[in-house]
Amino acid sequence: MGTLGACRQEVGTPGQTEETPFVGESAGESTSITDLIANLKDSRNKEIIVVAHRGDWRNAPENSLQAIENCITMGVDMVEIDIRETKDGQLILMHDETVDRTTTGTGKVADLTWAYLQTLYLRDGIGHKTPHQIPTLKEALQLCKGNILVNLDKSYPIFDKCFNVIEETGTQEQVVIKGAIPYDRVKEEFGPYLDKVFFMPIIRLHEPHAKDIVDTYLDSLQPVAFEFTVPQDTLKMIEYFDDIRARGSSVWVNALWPRHNGGHDDEKAAMDPTVYDWFLDNHIDMIQTDRPKLLLEYLRDKNRHK
Amino acid sequence: MEKYLKCTFLLATLVMGSVLYGQADINPKENRAAMILEQLKNPSGDYILAVSHRGDWRHAPENSLPAIQRCIDLGVDIVEIDVRLTKDGHLVAMHDKTLDRTTDGKGKVRELTLDEIRAFRLKNACGVRGSRIPVPTLEEIMELTKDRIMVNLDKVEGETVREAYEILKKTGTVKQAIFKGRETVQAMRKKYGDLMDSIIYMPILIDNTKNPAQFVQDYNADLSPLAYEVTFDSEDSENFKQISKLREEGIFVLNIALWDDLVAGHTDEMSLLEGPDASWGWLVERGANGIMTDRPEELLIYLKQKGLRNP
Repeated sequence: MGTLGACRQEVGTPGQTEETPFVGESAGESTSITDLIANLKDSRNKEIIVVAHRGDWRNAPENSLQAIENCITMGVDMVEIDIRETKDGQLILMHDETVDRTTTGTGKVADLTWAYLQTLYLRDGIGHKTPHQIPTLKEALQLCKGNILVNLDKSYPIFDKCFNVIEETGTQEQVVIKGAIPYDRVKEEFGPYLDKVFFMPIIRLHEPHAKDIVDTYLDSLQPVAFEFTVPQDTLKMIEYFDDIRARGSSVWVNALWPRHNGGHDDEKAAMDPTVYDWFLDNHIDMIQTDRPKLLLEYLRDKNRHK
Repeated sequence: MEKYLKCTFLLATLVMGSVLYGQADINPKENRAAMILEQLKNPSGDYILAVSHRGDWRHAPENSLPAIQRCIDLGVDIVEIDVRLTKDGHLVAMHDKTLDRTTDGKGKVRELTLDEIRAFRLKNACGVRGSRIPVPTLEEIMELTKDRIMVNLDKVEGETVREAYEILKKTGTVKQAIFKGRETVQAMRKKYGDLMDSIIYMPILIDNTKNPAQFVQDYNADLSPLAYEVTFDSEDSENFKQISKLREEGIFVLNIALWDDLVAGHTDEMSLLEGPDASWGWLVERGANGIMTDRPEELLIYLKQKGLRNP
């Protein structure tokens, strides 16, 4: 796998981003899904995995097909989307419990029918109606298939149903599920799926038994990655990230909000991209962001992304 | 991409700067806003103004200082912001009547004091809390934008022109702010009297404007506005017919590419789906001197490509 990492670096030249004058065109070399999966499985290489939160929600409605497509075009590695089930069993993309904020309709997803939801339009970031509509999980996975990894948030409690769609669309190898639960419980609740999709434990770094939970996982499941919540950048456990990667699991930290990363967040990085140095300096190799374009530019400059 | 833009704009600024330095004793920074005002006064076919709606809200929270700063960095000409009065008489930037949608607080702007509002933080455009950015005052906005970009003030015409004017005087930015409104010139005169002669005022032709031709004629006779904001839901509408008339008289026309019924479908969104010639290009061909957009970065790239950014 180390070879792959080296190979990627040779291909990705630092000058690429500057030669790309137009919006919507990929600034990097096109990466096959095989490469993306191999990179996900390889915790030791230098290539950083960029995860876009709710898709490219700045330029298309969050959790819309267009927001996913923009990510694919940009060269994002993984898109995070939120899954909910309608009253009549349809699986759709929707972050909130209600459709009020992001669509032209109102009500709880769980109380609404798919027939009704299909009459709604998604809103943009300032609340205005767009021509985009609510996608189903199936549509989203069909779009992701062969193009981009996908993290299904909020899917854990409805995973049996989600997995049917994953199988149907043939996207098993591309799907990541996360949960803030210890190994014993995951094994019990999620056991049959553990060798079918990627399960990533979420660890709150400031909690007293964080290290024990991590070690148990490393000795048993050997997850593809851990997501760490890092409220303060002084936490001792941060020094453990390097070891965790050496032992075969990647380290995912969100750049989204200050409490995820001890204040080294996207909003700060928008003013000064060297804020992202903290992630590289601390051996973090998966970063979920609200600024995929900025982060990709930063990483490509550093030769840490194709 | 951002880097490319920055380089281009840096270059543009440098070129403009050196040209302006040729004229004695003129600060090139000062001339950025002055140049824009000049374009409003004497619209040219070679320079289409880019007007950004609520700042660049894709980059930072709508109506926030970073969203405005971003417009300055991009080279936008006019930033449109919404201004409301607090309970204790301060003007703050806020689109909705309440803080609910855009901040982590709740309540009506006019029922809260500035201090109360300043304790809240703006949310980003996916509704997430955790930002450090507070609601800015109009005074802060005018200090940030002074000499660098023009500001279009929305939501003021009904009640707060006087209060806003005081801030402009205090910050020395009377010539850098454009007020606007939908009411007739008679109504505005009645409400604000001579103050109307001291501000830059842009009348709006909207779907419910009664007798647009008369509306324009009355404004021209009394105030001679530099510019009109013209919206139209179809090419058959009376509002649309005013565009060519205004252009014949050399008056600046601003179109609003945000939503279908403001530009008969020739929106920002259409530029993504069918290409910018179908939307922004269409508007320019029919007389637009300026375009208000939710996609300032893309609009500027397009206008440059078309040779429509040559002052």
